Amino acid sequence: MLSIPSEIWEDMIEHARLLDPHECCGILAGRDTVMTEHYRITNILAKMSDAELARFDQAKLSDLTQLSPEERADIAFQMDAQEMSQAQKDIRQKGLTLKAFYHSHTFSPARPSTTDITIAMEFESYREKLNIPEPVHVIISLQDKMNPIIRAYRIQHSTATEVPVERR
Amino acid sequence: MITVRIPTPLRPMTGGKSEVEGTGASIGELIEQLNATHPGLKDRICDEQGEIRRFINVYLNEEDIRFLTGKDTPVKDGDEVSIVPAIAGGSHD
Repeated sequence: MLSIPSEIWEDMIEHARLLDPHECCGILAGRDTVMTEHYRITNILAKMSDAELARFDQAKLSDLTQLSPEERADIAFQMDAQEMSQAQKDIRQKGLTLKAFYHSHTFSPARPSTTDITIAMEFESYREKLNIPEPVHVIISLQDKMNPIIRAYRIQHSTATEVPVERR
Repeated sequence: MITVRIPTPLRPMTGGKSEVEGTGASIGELIEQLNATHPGLKDRICDEQGEIRRFINVYLNEEDIRFLTGKDTPVKDGDEVSIVPAIAGGSHD
């Protein structure tokens, strides 16, 4: 269960709309099930050159050679590592817990793709050793631009299980 | 020795190993030493200016080295260094 205050809920949608058709991404933090902070994180994919992407292609985009960096950001995201770390530091300083990663799907439904699941499992393999709690993965779908949909998932053992989200 | 955790995308360069051992007085020296044993590893972790790439976090034990002294951060025997790509994803399958 993830309880998201209206102002954070609306800001996530605004963030998704602002970057549309690129995907947006960010972090939610809070205590127990209640989210109290959110952090917009830059999706750096549009700024990643072919050479850079070829060196570290988490989202397996290099196969899509016909896409420009801008077009890649329409179908995928890569968080800026420094901003992600800064958010984690701020969360620690405020005595909160990192609860969720969010990103938008600008053309597809609010459910994790195969890529999302693969990368989440990769992250799972490190996070306990780094003392990071298990995150929920929140997806904002702008498939219907007038009616954004927010859903959340636990991703464990390569399987996504929906987690209820409440707007409060 | 310093234990270094290697993310999946870089494991082809470490013979498939998820952890390797290295030496050095700082993170920078450790990366250089690892690159000598596993050529090409530095190029994946660091950009043309020698800085940690913007989609990678390097943790010394549980602390991001960007909040310590970056590549000059001292390391010692028994430390654990994790090379962790920032979270990513996509809507394509």
